[in-house]
Formats: sequence, structure tokens, C-alpha cells
Amino acid sequence: MTAGTTQRRPLLSMRQITKRFGAVEALVGVDLDVHAGEVVAMVGDNGAGKSTLAKVIAGVLQPEAGLIELGGEEVTVPTPAAAHALGISIVFQDLALCENLSVADNIFLGRERRVMRGGPMDRDGMELAARSILRDLTVNIPSVRTPVRELSAGQRQAVAIARTLTSEPRLLVLDEPTAALSVVQTAEVLTLVQRLRDLGLGVIIIGHNLADLRAVSDRIEVLRHGRNNGSFESATAHPEEIIAAIAGAGRVPEPRWSTAP
Amino acid sequence: MKSLKELFGGGARQFGMVFALLALVLIFQISTGGKVLTPTNVQNIINGNSYVLILAIGMVLVIIAGHIDLSVGSVAAVVGIIVALAIRDWGIPWWLGVLLGLAVGAVIGAWQGFWVAYVGIPGFITTLAGMMFFRGANQYIGKSNTIPVPKEIQYLGAGYLPEWGPNTGLNNSTLVLGIAAIAAVVWVETRRRRSAVRLGAEPAPVWVSAVRVVALGAVIAYLTFLFGGGRVGTSFPFSGVILAALVLIYGFLSTRTVTGRHVYAVGGNKVAASLSGVNIRRTNFFVMMNMSVLAALAGIVFIGRSTASGPFDGTNWELDAIAAVFIGGAAVSGGVGTVAGSVIGGLVMAVLNNGLQLMGVGSDLTQMIKGLVLLAAVAFDVYNKGGRTSIFSRLFKSRGGDGTANLTPAVAGTTSMQG
Ligand SMILES: Nc1ncnc2c1ncn2[C@@H]1O[C@H](COP(=O)(O)OP(=O)(O)OP(=O)(O)O)[C@@H](O)[C@H]1O
Ligand SMILES: [Mg+2]
Repeated sequence: MTAGTTQRRPLLSMRQITKRFGAVEALVGVDLDVHAGEVVAMVGDNGAGKSTLAKVIAGVLQPEAGLIELGGEEVTVPTPAAAHALGISIVFQDLALCENLSVADNIFLGRERRVMRGGPMDRDGMELAARSILRDLTVNIPSVRTPVRELSAGQRQAVAIARTLTSEPRLLVLDEPTAALSVVQTAEVLTLVQRLRDLGLGVIIIGHNLADLRAVSDRIEVLRHGRNNGSFESATAHPEEIIAAIAGAGRVPEPRWSTAP
Repeated sequence: MKSLKELFGGGARQFGMVFALLALVLIFQISTGGKVLTPTNVQNIINGNSYVLILAIGMVLVIIAGHIDLSVGSVAAVVGIIVALAIRDWGIPWWLGVLLGLAVGAVIGAWQGFWVAYVGIPGFITTLAGMMFFRGANQYIGKSNTIPVPKEIQYLGAGYLPEWGPNTGLNNSTLVLGIAAIAAVVWVETRRRRSAVRLGAEPAPVWVSAVRVVALGAVIAYLTFLFGGGRVGTSFPFSGVILAALVLIYGFLSTRTVTGRHVYAVGGNKVAASLSGVNIRRTNFFVMMNMSVLAALAGIVFIGRSTASGPFDGTNWELDAIAAVFIGGAAVSGGVGTVAGSVIGGLVMAVLNNGLQLMGVGSDLTQMIKGLVLLAAVAFDVYNKGGRTSIFSRLFKSRGGDGTANLTPAVAGTTSMQG
């Protein structure tokens, strides 16, 4: 599946990204490429730095060092709003929804549509758009006016994903999108990811379930202690190899990523 | 019951509030032998409480955003003395005095907003400090004297709409206002229906809309006759007009503007709001600053009503305003509350005060009853979980998703994994 895509210039290209929290080295010289129409799975132990990397992409955190290129151009992502303007959308691990607000309010939070510049919100327009996004996702939510407080975990997940589609994004980052979901719901979110890929988006999906991630992704990137620790073709890699890379035992297949012998 | 709720548009909570207010008025009307619903008495209720209701409008935004403002009474007092002194000693015209007062309110609000939004001092502490500081400032500036204010300022706090035009048996200004209000009710209802249709939702049954319009219209018509039918020279109080304008403006701001939406978002989930690109600091700064500007306005209206500014103006106002907001359905934890609800909550307190006084109940007992009513109103909400996230429901709330998962399919329709 990746044969055609890897030749082209990547949609997102990150080089030598480094991020510290005090003494904690959350990311050290991390590299990552994502192509359009490609799903890259990001795995690693708890605390490996996956969410930190996602937040750097989304403009929530600023790296101390490193280069980010989007569509071949070097960019900085100082704020979530800037990320959004660049066509980067993210579903955060903890969902980041306001439970007191309605489904439509949440989907457009922080990027409300207005009836005119500087004017009041276009509430009808946002509710209609929210409905059509949810319909495109074939999501079953009673009404876009329902407060998120009243939704199930799976429905909230759908709202969080719908949030990312309000402006046509180029790159989608999903941080453990299926963590709270049942088997059926998980399958549906994964189907959704493939549909997004088929639309030509680049998708980064973070998770812990290797079987699911192998099924849905084109490539699997492993992080360990904030460093790249292996890159695998989803179709051909053996699970034991990937687990070894995650746990840090055994050999590391692609030494060019690795800083340790 | 569902249609009954639809009647009031805002669900059970608003229904309960309006119903409680009406019931209270009726009970007092009966038990005082008709002394409550007289032109003079309702005019007094508005004149005597408009400043607290103005504060409640600002306070509900502060509380929705998850803060509290204890300084409003002191801010009102210090603004009152500055306005009174500036007009008397500097000889500036009354309107310049009003503008000066609002500007002082804005500066005080910017000061408190700075500490809350940019330094991160909790609103409780910042405004507790402000409560002490500005109370002292009022007494320092005024040397604890009482300073009279001119007629025009008195009009703001105790004046009535002018008489004009043909003799209709009513105050014509009030009549026009009442007709405009009824027209607005009809307009809002048609818009609501049209918006429902545009969304493809089924609008409420026509009879619901009709009953709502007729009921609201009847209440407004009755109030028009009540306020406009008093002795000549009285009418709907001018402070009530200010209040009504503020309810409209802030109702619009809180529900229709991006700023208002962000106030709810910050109070509901600060982290989520910030990750979504909401500017938390600007939002917090706005609610704190806005509160002080409204406190300044309340102070000016009050010195108008009491014809002078004194050293103890505004004492305990913060408590009345906060009580009004919580009776009006706001949540202690933030994120929930409405402007209209808070004003109704304030009116419940006002009617309670007034009715008990008319019944000859002493202020000691009145105070005790008001305390219990506040407690009962919030307890009722917590018990009913009437749409608010209370401390109680927070305790049992699931983070992310655990117990509540798997009730409904997330992404229905396609179940196959590979396309
Ligand atoms: N805001 C923060 N302040 C301080 N340290 C942080 C912060 N965010 C993350 N860290 C630290 O950075 C490291 C990487 O965290 P991160 O959340 O990226 O891990 P993760 O790979 O997403 O783990 P998980 O699988 O548990 O979600 C951890 O050691 C964590 O404690
Ligand atoms: Mg994580």
C-alpha cells in the first residue's frame, strides 16, 4: 500500500525534534515522516513520548529543537489555532471536550463561524454543518444540541473526531482514539480512519493495540524513552519484532533511526 | 410534561424558576390581601433591587467562567463616591460623571482581571482583597462623608419614564414599551420555529408556540397596566429600563457571540477550551473587567436612588448578587448558568424580601428565610441534577469514559473493519 506513496515528498516531515520537561527528556532527536494517504501508527510504552509528539505537531507544545516541514515547507506551529490553519487536526488522548456544551458547540469550539466578520455566531450554520459532518461519519447521535455530558464514551469519541473535520484537514493526529471503546466501536473508528486515508489525508494514529494498529496502518513507528526505536511495514513486520522494539529488547531493525548501538 | 417543558423553551430548570417566582408573587398577593401587585409596590421592587440585578448579570458570567467576585459592593461604593465628588467638587456635568464612573469601573476591572487572568491568583482571593481595598478607598476618598448627587443622577436610580401624548389612562412610555416587548416575544417565537425548520428538526407543536406567546403576552400586558397605571408621574422605572436593556444585551452576548461561548467553555473545561484554541486569559480578563464595569453602573444607579453616596453603600451586595445567580440555576463548579435565570433568581429574592416586609415579618426572620430559600433552591437542583454540573455530580462523574461506555454504538452504520 505504501509502495507508491513513499516515493513522493512527505506531507509531514519532522527532524530531530527534542522536547524536555525539566529533567524529563520526553523527546530526543525524533524523526517522523507522514505521506498523504498514509496511516502511520505510533506505538511505545507508557511515557514513551507519543502524546508529547502529537502535541508538538498540534501546536500545544513547542519543541526545544528540531525542524517541522509541512508539504515541503518549513513551518512553526506556535498555537493550536496555527496548527488548524495549517490543516493539522488532532484528537487528544483525553478528548478535550466541554461537557457543558452541546455537540455542535464542541465541534466548532475555538473556530466558531460568524454571520459576518466580528459579528455574532452563525449558530444555525454551525449546527447544520455539524450534522452533515456527523452524517458523513455515519455517527449515531440523537441531536447536535445534546450536551456532551449526556453522550456515551463512543459518541464522545465520534464528536472528538468530528471536531477535526470542520475545516478540511490535511493531517490528522489521533491519540489513542479507541482507548475507551468497545470492540464494535473500535472497529468502527478504525474503519473511519481508513475512510479518511482514502480521502487522501495523512493520518497518525497512536495506540497500544498492535493487532488493530497493524490492520489499519501502512507503517508502524516505535518510540522508546523519547527516541525513535524502529520503523516497520505493517503488512510484513512480525509482532514480536515490534514488541521487542517497544520493550527495548533484542535488535532494532532500522539502525538509521537509532542512536543506541 | 415534555410539552409543558417546551412551553418554557429552556427545559425544566427555567420552567421551575418562572413557576417559583409566579407562585411566590401569588402567595404574597393573597396573604397580604393584595398589597404586592399594586403599581407603587412593583415600582418599588424594581427601583429597590435594580442595582443588585445589574450585579447579578455580571456575576453570572464570572461564575459561569468558574470564578467569583466578592468585590462588587466595594467597587460600586468607591465608584459612587468618586462620581458624587467629581460632580460636586469639580463641577463636571452629570453625564461626564457617569462616564467617569464607568471608566473607573473599567480600570478597577482591568486591575482585577490582570491578577486573575494573567497572574493566576484565584478570583476569590483577588476580589477579597479588592473588597477590603475598595471599601477602604470609598471611605478614604469620601472621608466617610455622605455626598449628595444631582437630579439627573437621581433620575437614573429612581426616575420614571416621561408622560406624553394622548390620555390612554396609562403612562404612554410604558405602554409603548409593553407593546414592543410583546412584538419581540412574537418575533423570537417565529424565529425559533424557523430555525428549527431550517435544521430539519420538527418544531414544537403549533399550540405550544401559541400558548407560549399568549401566556407571555398576557403577563407583559398585565405588567404594562400595573406599571403604567399608577399615579400620574410614575411608570416603569428608568432603572428597570436600564436593567431590561442589560438583560437583552447580555443575553445576546452569552448565547450568540463567540465571547459568550468561550465563557461557558472556560468554565466547563479549561484544558479542553485551551486545546481548542480558546484564549483562556482573554476570556477570564473579560469576565472580571466586565463585572467591575457593571458594578460601577450599579453603584451609580444606587447613589441615584438614595440621592447621595455614603461610606456604607454596597455592603453585602456581593452576597445578594451571588445568591441570585445560584438561585437562578448556575453551578458552583462553573460552566452552567444563564443571564435570564440569574435575574429571575434575583427577583425571587426581591419578591421574598418585599412580601415578607409587607406581611410585617421582621428583617431577622426575613434573613433566615432567605438563607433557607437559597439552600433549598440549590439542593433542589443538586437532587434533580437539573442539567447542572454541581459539586455533587462532579463527585460521581466519569473522566473520559468508563461506566458510561458501550450504551450506544459510536459510529453506527458500517461494522466491517476492512473496506
Ligand atoms: N506537561 C508535562 N509536564 C511534565 N512532564 C510531562 C508533561 N507531559 C508529559 N510529560 C512527561 O513526558 C514523558 C512522555 O509523556 P507522554 O504523555 O508523551 O507519553 P505517552 O507515550 O503518550 O504515554 P501513554 O501511552 O501513557 O499515553 C513522560 O515521562 C511524562 O511524564
Ligand atoms: Mg499518551
